[in-house]
This record gives sequence, C-alpha cells and structure tokens, in this order.
Amino acid sequence: MTQTIIWTIAIISVLGAVLAVVLYLVAKKFKVEEDPRIDQVEKVLPGANCGGCGQAGCHAFAQHCVESPDLGGCFCPVGGNDVMQKVAGVLGLQVEAKEPMVAVVRCNGSCENRPRTNEYGGYASCRVKASLYSGDTGCSFGCLGCGDCVSVCKFGAIVMDPESGLPVVDEEKCTACGACAKACPKGVIELRNKGRRNMRVFVSCINKDKGGVARKACKAACIGCGKCAKVCPFGAITVENNLAYIDFNKCKLCKKCVAECPTGAIHAVNFPVIPAKPAAPAAAAPKPAAPAATAPAAAPKPAPAAAPAPSEKAAPATEPVKKEE
Amino acid sequence: MKTTFSIGGIHPNDSKISKDCKIEVLPLPAKVFVSMAQHLGAPATPKVSVGDKVLAGQVIAEPAGFISAFVHSPVSGTVKSIGPRKDIAGNNMTHIEIDVEGDEWAEGIDLSDTLVTEIPQDNKAILDKIKACGVVGLGGATFPTHVKLCPPPGKKAECLILNGAECEPYLTSDYRIMLERSKEIIVGAAIMKQVLGGCRTVIGIEENKPEAIRVMNESLAALQKTAKGYDGIEVMSLKKKYPQGGEKQLIDAVMKRQVKSMGLPIDVGAVVQNVATSLAVYEAVQKNKPLVTNTLTITGDCLPVEKQHNYLFRIGMPLSYIAECAGGVPEAAAKIVSGGPMMGKAIANLDAATVKGSSSLLYLTEEQTRRNAESACIRCGKCADACPMGLEPFLLNKYARNGMMEELEENAIQDCIECGCCLYSCPANIPLLDVIRIAKGDVIRIIRGRAAAAKK
Amino acid sequence: MRDVVIALLPAVVVSVLFYGWHELLVLGVSVASCVLLEFLITKYLLKKACTVGDWSAVITGVLLALNLPASTPWWVVFIGAVVAIGVAKMTFGGLGQNLFNPAIAGRVFLLISFPTYMTDWTRTTGFIGGGIDAFSGATPLGLVKEGGVAATQTMDYLDMLFLNIGGSAGELSAIAIIVGFIYLLARKVIKPWITLSILGTVAVFSAIFWGINPEQYTDPVFNLLTGGILLGSVFMATDYVTSPMSNLGGVIFGVGIGLLTMLIRYFGAYPEGMSFAILIMNSTVPLINKYCHSKKYGR
Repeated sequence: MTQTIIWTIAIISVLGAVLAVVLYLVAKKFKVEEDPRIDQVEKVLPGANCGGCGQAGCHAFAQHCVESPDLGGCFCPVGGNDVMQKVAGVLGLQVEAKEPMVAVVRCNGSCENRPRTNEYGGYASCRVKASLYSGDTGCSFGCLGCGDCVSVCKFGAIVMDPESGLPVVDEEKCTACGACAKACPKGVIELRNKGRRNMRVFVSCINKDKGGVARKACKAACIGCGKCAKVCPFGAITVENNLAYIDFNKCKLCKKCVAECPTGAIHAVNFPVIPAKPAAPAAAAPKPAAPAATAPAAAPKPAPAAAPAPSEKAAPATEPVKKEE
Repeated sequence: MKTTFSIGGIHPNDSKISKDCKIEVLPLPAKVFVSMAQHLGAPATPKVSVGDKVLAGQVIAEPAGFISAFVHSPVSGTVKSIGPRKDIAGNNMTHIEIDVEGDEWAEGIDLSDTLVTEIPQDNKAILDKIKACGVVGLGGATFPTHVKLCPPPGKKAECLILNGAECEPYLTSDYRIMLERSKEIIVGAAIMKQVLGGCRTVIGIEENKPEAIRVMNESLAALQKTAKGYDGIEVMSLKKKYPQGGEKQLIDAVMKRQVKSMGLPIDVGAVVQNVATSLAVYEAVQKNKPLVTNTLTITGDCLPVEKQHNYLFRIGMPLSYIAECAGGVPEAAAKIVSGGPMMGKAIANLDAATVKGSSSLLYLTEEQTRRNAESACIRCGKCADACPMGLEPFLLNKYARNGMMEELEENAIQDCIECGCCLYSCPANIPLLDVIRIAKGDVIRIIRGRAAAAKK
Repeated sequence: MRDVVIALLPAVVVSVLFYGWHELLVLGVSVASCVLLEFLITKYLLKKACTVGDWSAVITGVLLALNLPASTPWWVVFIGAVVAIGVAKMTFGGLGQNLFNPAIAGRVFLLISFPTYMTDWTRTTGFIGGGIDAFSGATPLGLVKEGGVAATQTMDYLDMLFLNIGGSAGELSAIAIIVGFIYLLARKVIKPWITLSILGTVAVFSAIFWGINPEQYTDPVFNLLTGGILLGSVFMATDYVTSPMSNLGGVIFGVGIGLLTMLIRYFGAYPEGMSFAILIMNSTVPLINKYCHSKKYGR
C-alpha cells in the first residue's frame, strides 16, 4: 500500500518536472518578441475593441501608437483627449487636444413628418432594404429605420425611438467612434463637433430632391431654398443639390438660420431655454411655446424654431465625416 | 432524352394561369416616360431637348459607354420635360417625358407583318443594326445584345442557346411569343447564329410548355424547307426545374459544360439569348424596327382569369396605366412584382414607367408574400440541396452575418446567381438570399479591388 | 419536424402494445418533461423566443423513452430528460447549436449513472402477448455478452424482425422502424446515406469477423436486427443538427458509427455500442463539415 503511494508520488513528480522543462523550452523557443510599451499603452485604453480608431482593436491601436513617431493620426475616439494624454505620457510624447465629436442623425422623417407610401416586409436590415429599393416613404435619402446603426453601436449609445421611427443618439454614451455613420447605407449619420456646452446647429435632412418633391415626401425636409445661407453672417452654410449644409467649423451658433428655415429642417439642440418673447426679432413664423432646446439626453429630436441666441464662438478643427454610399 | 442542369434546383408550382391569353396591343396613353436606364451599364445620354417633336422609333438618347444602349422614342409627339423621375424601386432616374400625338413612325421602319426570311450576309451591318436599334437582352439582365454577339478575340462561340425555358412561375410572355411569333424568333436565331459564325443553335424550352415546343418545331421545319441558313437549329425539350432559365444552368443543361467561377459563358463557347431578344433582333435586322415594344404578362392568383392578359406594350408606358387598362389593381393584391415571383422586384412605385426589360405585373396576395418569423438554422441542408450553384447558403449566411469575408470567398459566395432557391426551400424562414446578396456584393468588390491592385 | 414524430409512431405503438402501461408512463414522463424543460429554459433562463412549437423537444422525448427499458422509474426518466434538454441541448444554445444528440446524451448519462435500472429488462405486462408476462431477462445482445454466441441459437430472427424478446422499446420491432424510415424517405425529410452506410458497415464488418470465426462472433443479420442499430441509424444518427451536411460527409459519419458500434460490441465491455458510437461521431461532425463540401458549379 505504502509502496503504491510512494510510487505514485514519485512518478507524478518526475512527470511534472519533465513537463516543466518541456514547457520552459517551448516557451523559450516560440517566444514572441513584443515591445513592452504596447502592453502599457493597451492598459490605458478603454478596451472596447470598437475599431473607432481605424485599427482592428485596442491591441492593434496600441501597437500603432508605439510604432508611430509622433502619434500623428492616432486618436482613440472612445477615450478622447484624456486617454490620448495618458498614451502620450506612457510613450513620452506630446499630443494636441482634439475637439470632441458626436454622432448626429440628420433625418427628421418621423412617421408624422414623412408618411409611409408602402410597407417593407423584407429582412429588417437597412443595408438589405437600401439595396432593394428607395425605402418605404417618398424620400429616397432619409433614414430607413431598420436600426443598422443601433446594432453596430458597441456602447449602447443609439436607440430607435419607436414613436418617430428614427434613431436617437445618447450624447453621454456616444464616443464618436463612427461605426454608426459607416453602417448607415444612406449616410444619414454624421460625426459633428460636440459644440460649446453641447450646443449644436445642424441641418437635419439630406434630401437632394427638388424642393417640391422633397416637401411632398416629408414635411420637415430641406427644400434647398437657400434662406439660411443668405441669413448666415459667417458663411457657414452652403446649398448644393437642393440641400443646405452647415459647416460646423464656421458655425458660431447664432441660430439665425434656425428661425429662417421654412420647414424646420435646421435643428438647434441643447441651447438654454429662453422664455418665448412676444416680439422675437427675426422670424415672423408663429412659434410654438414649447421649449426650443430639448433635454441633453434626447439630442436630435425635432426642435422647433427658436429665438436667436447671442452668437457664440466655437473653434473646432476637424473635418466632417461625410459618407456617400 | 429530356435534359436539365446537374446541381440543385427546385420545383415551384408553375402557376401559368395566363398562358392561354393571346397577346393584345395596348392603346397609347396620353404621355410616356422613357427611362435612360433601360439596360445594364451606364445610363444613356438624352439627345433631344424640351419642345422637340419626335417620331416613334427615333433615337432620343445615345449610349454613354461601351456597355450601354440607344434609346428610341416609343411614340410620336412632343418632348415635354427631361428630368428625374422615380423608377419602380423609387430611386431617381432621368426620364424623357413625351406627350403623345398620333402614332407616326420614323422613316424606314417596316411595320407590316410580312415575314422576311432571307438573312443579310453582311455581319458587320447586322451588328450595327442591332446596336442602332437599342436591342438588349430581355431575359432579365438587359445586357446590350451587340456586345454579347461579339466574342472577345481568341474565343469562339460553339453553341448559341435560345432561352425559352421561362422557368419563373406565372410568367407567360415568352410562351405567348413562342406560340404567336415563332417564325420571327427562329429567323432572329438564324441571324445571331450567322453573326456568331454558324455555330450549333439550340432553342431550349421546358417540358411544361408542350404547345410551344410543337409550334416551334413546326415553324422550324417549315423554315428549313423554304429558306437557307436554318440548318443546325434544333428545339430541345428540357425538364421542368427552376432555375432552368439561368444562363449558367441552361449552358449546363444543353451543353453539359459549366462556366468557371467569375467566368463568362463565352469561355465555354456558349452564347445565351432570350427568345424575346431573338424577336427583337429579327425586328431590328429585318424590319429596321428599334426595340420600343415588348410583351408583358398581367397575372396573379387574386386576378380572375378573364382579367389576366399578355400585352404588347410600348416602353415608357406607366405601369399604373397598364394596370388600369387591365381593369385596375385587384383588392387582394398585397404586393405587385415586376418579373417573376422568384427573382422579380417588388414595385414600390406603380407610377414608374415600363422599360425594355419589363416582363410582368404580378399581383401577389398577403398570404403569398408574408414572411414568417425566422427561427434557428438546424442545418437540414435543404438550401444546399436546392442551390443550383452547389453553394451552401446556410454556411454563407453564418459567415456573412459575422463579416467573415475570406471564408465567404473560399465558399464561393461570388458564384451566387441570386435565384432565391435557398430562401424558397428554407424551413426556418431564414432570409438567406437577403443576407447573401449583400455579402456577395462586398466580396465581389474585394475581388475586383484586388484584381485592380494586381494590374497596377 | 412533425414528420419525424409521425415516423416514430409505429415504433411507439408497438412498444406500448408490448410493454403496456409502464411504457406509456415512461413515454409520457419523458415527452412531458422534455417539453416542459425546453419551455422553462427558453423562457426563463435564456429569455428568448420559445421553441417548443417546433416539435424538436417532443422528438427528443420520444427517442429518449424508446431508448429506456419500460421498467425505468419515472424519476430516472426525468433525470434523463434534464440531461438531454438541459445539458446536451440548451447549454449549447438550444436548437441548431447542440453538438451532441440530446436523446442519446440523456440515455448514455443514465446508462452510466443507473446501470441497474438501465439493464433491467423485466417484461412488464403488455396489451398483447400476455401469455409470457413477467418474463425477466436480458436483451439478445446481453445474452451474447454473457453466454457467448451459442445463446443466439435459441433466437428466431423472424421474431426479432417483428418483435424482439427483450430490450428497450426502440429495439423491439425492426419492422416498425423500417416503416418509419420509409416514411421519412418518402417525405424527403432525411436522405438515406447516413442510415445505409451505418447498416452497410455493420453488415460488412460483422460478416468479415463472423466469416473468420463464427464460434466467437455473432452474424450480420443478428447484429443488424438487435440493439439500437435500426433506431439509432434511422432516427438518431440522421438528426440534422448533429450530422454532417453533405452526402459524402454523411457516408463518412455513418461508416464511423458502424465501425465504432461493432468494435464496442465485439471487443468492448458493453453489449450495445450504438449510443456511444453516435456520440463519438457527433463530436467529429464540425470537422467533417469543414472538409466535406457539396460539389460546386464550375469548380
């Protein structure tokens, strides 16, 4: 009996020792040399592996950062400037602060504004739907409402509003990784400057049809009338192909255009609520008493024309991400 | 010996309800809208201006590239406007709007019914005529016919296959022209045969159309007796199986050869043309008549038989006008499809104008079009058995949903012909084709990108 | 999948007639607990769409019951159902995801855990053939394991074709299962390749050994008619989820099952080898699927 126990212990010990040596040799032989700084950099990254930086994941991004001489072109949209400062600290480099961005849904074609002209019964994917036809409304440019953007968001920052049928971005959660903008086959979603105190003015429409056609398809469409471009004191608005576009690098958030827009296609969000004055300066259109700015959480919801606010300054320094199909 | 393609295939109910409805000529509407994208390739460029008087058969748009085609005015009248209009998918496309005034045809067009059996000898002139008359493939892809009839250097056509399979359920327009215009079709075939250097010519017809097989055989025998140039043409009866009319399947069935992946039919010496295209070739070459008319079936289970029609329409007629002529859209119709139920496209906009390739207005009921909820794949393999290309749709579906491009390419997603057999056969209602079609586009883009990079 | 249930009906009817109320109880408990477990797990644990309506749980329940002796206590049957549905099916993600055939996994678990119950072939009183009730004995294969080939001499093959002497419900009547097989083929639910390759391999393998030494090894007909060979090859090995996709893959799979079954029967400790063989070959299915693809057009 004792002999069996002794033998067992002996055999197992010898086996363990032999295998340990084998493991050691194998580990030595197949060791992958890697810059230790890659691990250090990866530790300060968010670890979401979202790919928003353009790399395959956080490890690949860390490798990219280490290999880059001055961190040029390296930016983690999720971690933002804080994380990039930390990365620079690890690598002993300097980085410039980048203006924070946010995903903006540029479509106002809610069920109410944009009546359905047919019923889509196919596979519920925007990409599939877009490949088949122009969509179930008269507008062939706007949101298709199948939620491809929702399913690609790794941060749960975008949800479909069942009432309007449009996606809604949660600004707190949005990291501007751009996955939704890439996923949208219509290019409805744009990454825009987050703006001072999150205040933004943008054209919530990308319909390039002629005014009448666009208006017929959707009550809140941009009809390309150009009034906004005329009223803009900063030359931030261009009208091309019957569609106005506000360059957020030039926009000073004066909101003159918002008041001018006849269809309410220009949205101003997160502006402080100013009690409606009986004699608002510019716009003659009757304004609803509803607050102009919605709560921060529900950003790009339709906000009716608001009274112009004093001009603000903003100096972002990035290119807008515009996606064409 | 009846023959068919070797891999996969399904047997949907053929539902050829409108097969006994004679072809009727539609009256002219008040205005037509002629699309510039009636063919595969670059949209044509308009060559008329607003206010111009045009005659039927007159060129109104020119090809904008090698793969493109002439567009002719289908009616006589005045050009009212040129601009974007929504096509059947609801997308904008340039259309020329013409107010119809009378019905005058351009000079030199023979509108009589006289059969011209003598084939001109100058192949170059024939090809020019086919091109000038804007003939495109009417089997679905609308590929410019003259391009197909000019094999690239070093390749020789060994067999011209005329596609009279009409394997899609419900459609009967090809069947009707095979009954009513059989001689013209055979003359068209003989013309193409001569252009291709006198190769073997086979007219493939599915066995569920015995009448068409009989009529075509009789007409062929009659022509072979009276005129020259009709030897070496035969009518072949094919087993009924969908997608028999698919180009690659038809080549497999008739020639027992298979086109390589990403290859063209001419690589195995085959040229496939639809019977309707053959008719268009006849009219272009023998009658000098451009392609401005085609045959269209109005059918569906929810349409009473007396309201079903096979119409000879002019291109540019709005679909809604044709539907009105046939007595309006039935109430039970939940979906209107242009083309067959397997590969046709749902019409999002009934006001869209007909194009050269329009082949049907198919009314489907709610019950026929409803999609049931998707359930889990149990790997029953029915899709793989049905796939006529021998692919494994369940696998492609899995890879596609996970974005595994390399695996998709390895498993030949680029060979998919989008026939819909997998979707038809799936007991779990998985939208296989929808998923695969998108991923196939991505993979083909990757392959093309790589080829372009390799060239540099 | 309802077709599979229909195809199983002849075997179910024969076993109920032969084994009586006990068999009905085993069947009832097995099916009810499989369906209930599937419902509870999909609804409350996985929180996804309930898949009870697709009949797959019913099939698992029936197959499990047909694999157990009629005298099995109800709680043993229930444990089998827990293993089949809860462990073998749902932990992998439910229908379409499981690597192993649930019914066989349940059966093998019981075979290893409760060998006494699982080999107690007490003849319970049936609705027919009541003359020899309360016959307690082993299955034909069990007899061979104990008594050698000589034991087969007392058996009549024609009897086996229609009604076996002992054994689990599914082993009872070869004809009932063949009727189900023909129905499945006619309805194009399954393809014959897996079943035929299993049977063929068993026949060839046993023929070779029997030819060499008929004293030691049982003959092919005996091997085809006894044990779960028929039930397994028709209903269990052909399960869509746990069998290869392509025809070639199916043949490889079937030959593997046939070989393993016969190796276990001739040289293993268990008299029966079908369940183990199917489970082992189930685990090779992903590999087979990776290398056996259908013939592609133009390649």
